[in-house]
Amino acid sequence: MGRSQEKGQGPIYNMRLSTVGATRATETGTTHEPTGLDLAMKLHYLKAAYIYTPEMARDLSVTHVKEAIFKLFDQIAWTTGRLWRRDSGRPYIKCNDCGARFVEGKCNFTVEEWLSKPDRSVDEFLVYHQPVGPELPFSPLIYVQMTRFKCRGLAFGLSWANIMGDSFSLFYAFNLWVKVLSGEKIYAPETSIIDRRFQNPNPTVKDPESIKQVDPVGDLWITPSNKKMVSYCFNLTVTDQMSPHFPANGDDQIPVFEILAGIIWKNIAKVREDPEPLTVTIIRKDPNDLKPIRSIRNSQMISSVHVDSPVAEATVEELVRCIERATDERCGIDEIGGSCDGSLDFIVYGAKLAFMDLSEVDLYEAKVMGKSPESVYCNVEGIGEEGLVVVYAAAKSEERVVTMTLPEEEMERVKSEFKKCGLIAP
Amino acid sequence: AKHLTMSPPKMPDLSTSTKHKYVKLGYQYLVNNFLTLLLIPILAYTALELFRMGPEEILNHLNSLNFNLLHILCSSFLIIFVSTVYFMSKPRTIYLVDYSCFKPPVTCRVPFATFMEHSRLNLIDSPKSVEFQMRILERSGLGEETCLPPAIHYIPPTPTMDAARSEAELVIFTAMDDLFKKTGLKPKDIDILIVNCSLFSPTPSLSAMIINKYKLRSNIKSLNLSGMGCSASLISVDVARDLLQVHPNSNAVIVSTEIITPNYYQGKERAMLLPNCLFRMGAAAILLSNRRSDRWRAKYKLCHLVRTHRGAEDKSYYCVYQQEDDESHVGINLNKDLMAIAGEALKSNITTIGPLVLPASEQLLFLTSLIGRKIFNAKWKPYIPDFKMAFEHFCIHAGGRAVIDELQKNLQLSAEHVEASRMTLHRFGNTSSSSLWYELSYIEAKGKMKRGDRVWQIAFGSGFKCNSAVWKSNRTIKTPTEGPWSDCIDRYPVFIPEVVKL
Repeated sequence: MGRSQEKGQGPIYNMRLSTVGATRATETGTTHEPTGLDLAMKLHYLKAAYIYTPEMARDLSVTHVKEAIFKLFDQIAWTTGRLWRRDSGRPYIKCNDCGARFVEGKCNFTVEEWLSKPDRSVDEFLVYHQPVGPELPFSPLIYVQMTRFKCRGLAFGLSWANIMGDSFSLFYAFNLWVKVLSGEKIYAPETSIIDRRFQNPNPTVKDPESIKQVDPVGDLWITPSNKKMVSYCFNLTVTDQMSPHFPANGDDQIPVFEILAGIIWKNIAKVREDPEPLTVTIIRKDPNDLKPIRSIRNSQMISSVHVDSPVAEATVEELVRCIERATDERCGIDEIGGSCDGSLDFIVYGAKLAFMDLSEVDLYEAKVMGKSPESVYCNVEGIGEEGLVVVYAAAKSEERVVTMTLPEEEMERVKSEFKKCGLIAP
Repeated sequence: AKHLTMSPPKMPDLSTSTKHKYVKLGYQYLVNNFLTLLLIPILAYTALELFRMGPEEILNHLNSLNFNLLHILCSSFLIIFVSTVYFMSKPRTIYLVDYSCFKPPVTCRVPFATFMEHSRLNLIDSPKSVEFQMRILERSGLGEETCLPPAIHYIPPTPTMDAARSEAELVIFTAMDDLFKKTGLKPKDIDILIVNCSLFSPTPSLSAMIINKYKLRSNIKSLNLSGMGCSASLISVDVARDLLQVHPNSNAVIVSTEIITPNYYQGKERAMLLPNCLFRMGAAAILLSNRRSDRWRAKYKLCHLVRTHRGAEDKSYYCVYQQEDDESHVGINLNKDLMAIAGEALKSNITTIGPLVLPASEQLLFLTSLIGRKIFNAKWKPYIPDFKMAFEHFCIHAGGRAVIDELQKNLQLSAEHVEASRMTLHRFGNTSSSSLWYELSYIEAKGKMKRGDRVWQIAFGSGFKCNSAVWKSNRTIKTPTEGPWSDCIDRYPVFIPEVVKL
């Protein structure tokens, strides 16, 4: 469960829950069938928090915001449905317009004070989260938190069940929403079954490394874990902190994500010795999918990288080259995820140490009143024990934000390794 | 609850033989036009006689009557005097110029699934009560587009006084703005203002709230009726009618609504959870006038209004009773005998209104049947007058599916007659006193309201009351109409299954 659930300890108070949905009634009997890949991701939840300053958000009342969400859900009404199981046990979404949960909260800090905290993972408090279950038909798939800061700034936090769609879908939906807030008309085309198949299926992968089966969780969709996972989020400048590790070869197209992933992988390998993370998962936008994201689905590419020699001794360049040759495992995952009528439970994030690349998404395009957000935070809930590193764009184009979720016992040592190599300021 | 199990209404036995039908038709024609039929032979005889006599003989006859100036003057004065007394003492005709119904914002929509999920979360310790609510909702006849006020959307609901006032302002001011636009009425021209809202009565009153908002005149005659239940709209019309008899050349604005926010039951007693499932946001604003100048643009004319109160009987008085439950939650307790009591109240009302509206043929039949049962054989089936002959349209208060079923059965109405009521229940839920106006709006939106059509509005309310009003349409209402049905009328009528599987 997310940090925000600790009652009375978080900085958010006066929380009020309500429900928002679509304005039109969906036809009775409409359903949405998850694919195998969707089912494989069911124990994960994607989270994002957008912070807006008072100049942009002062006049946005709860009514405005709710009206805009209603218009958004008119386009994607199926996401307001609920999960039911067929007689075979296979989960599906019944499009009954039940709605998304809307949480209003207040915070006693100003936006400035909040953003001055060095570890950006405090933004976890801005995202209300509850897992799906223990009763599937009464569990919302989306939670939206609207936090009002002392200075009248606003934060919007989204918690989004991965079974519906990937991070790119989440950002797409949020961008549509802020467009409505700014008064624009939106239109989201319906996602057909064909759209939901991924390009370039790679049928050769039979035993994908990036997915791991876990003990049955029944109807409470929480990733089972023996270790307490903690998150840490920091900014870094590409040129200052990364170039020392990867000499520029005159090419101005440096693969920032791959280098960053390589550096972090190496440092985690130094800390995590037994067993060493020889295989990692890379999750990013499908490079073959040239169309801009215009639908809610799991389209992210999930690929696996394996090295034979110890990672801690490899150079960053070697690791980067391996990462560039990662194998797309989605076909295998789709097959496994849908096997046994979706009754098996798996994890993908944290099955192996995973790196998610969201840097191609322009998060700061989500403008309210013509102004970009001050800060955007991304993470995933329900990560497996191997951990996850999310890399995404910062407000400044030469910076990146890294959100790391690792077992508590490793985090401090990993942080000190980062300080040693200059990724974090000492 | 027993009173909610419904059996399909038995269709009146379509005459086995057409001969039977023609006999009945002939009888009705004979009795209803009795005087006309009597007059025709008399006129024919007189005409023949006059023809026979010829003009000279007629003049001789007239001269022999010895009229002189005095006689003529006195007779003229008498005629003028009698006519004047007649016209002066005739009650003023009350015209319904126009009315408007509140259309809730779409953000207030409550689909079934949402209602049930909230119910589970709010009554987390009472699964049996949640189960009960679900069964009620399945059979309620409500649709997926009914609306609850914003405060009730919270988990748990936050029924503060501020929220209640906000709801009142939203529903009432929206309806009134719409009424001003439709009728061109200026706020300063309102002479009488009557507001009825049963369960929310703040100080200053809702009528004072309206006067404040629209800056109405200081000599306005304002009234605020509270606690009078779902039939209060017709009570307001009655009061307005009486006031308009006393004040010439005036108009009256009636606002009928029910504010849901402060009355959402937060406990777990089953008999008191029922209103939560059925009552929804709604309001109507109506403009009545006794000015002759409004005769041309008015939509309806008020013909009759009958109020029946059964409160003298304990059974009726206690059947809809607001009280605290064991945990001090306030709610409205609906008695199991509600339908039976409603039926009796209806019979009372019909007995009074029948003679006013039924054609002579029906009244004669009813009288004969009554005498027959009293004198000859009590086992004779009571004759139920055919009200379909007296009215073209019926607006039965959408109190719940059971109410509509019961009345359809008692009055032997077809599905088409109760369509307005059923569809209003489906689209808007039970909006209490304003539901009659949503139903009337439905009939207009469907293009069924023609000039000369008579509408019968029947409402039930706590007390126990049965009030009914008869309106006559002044002009044919053209479609499309502007109103709460404008964006969805094409989807109606819908088929409403007996049990909706949630």
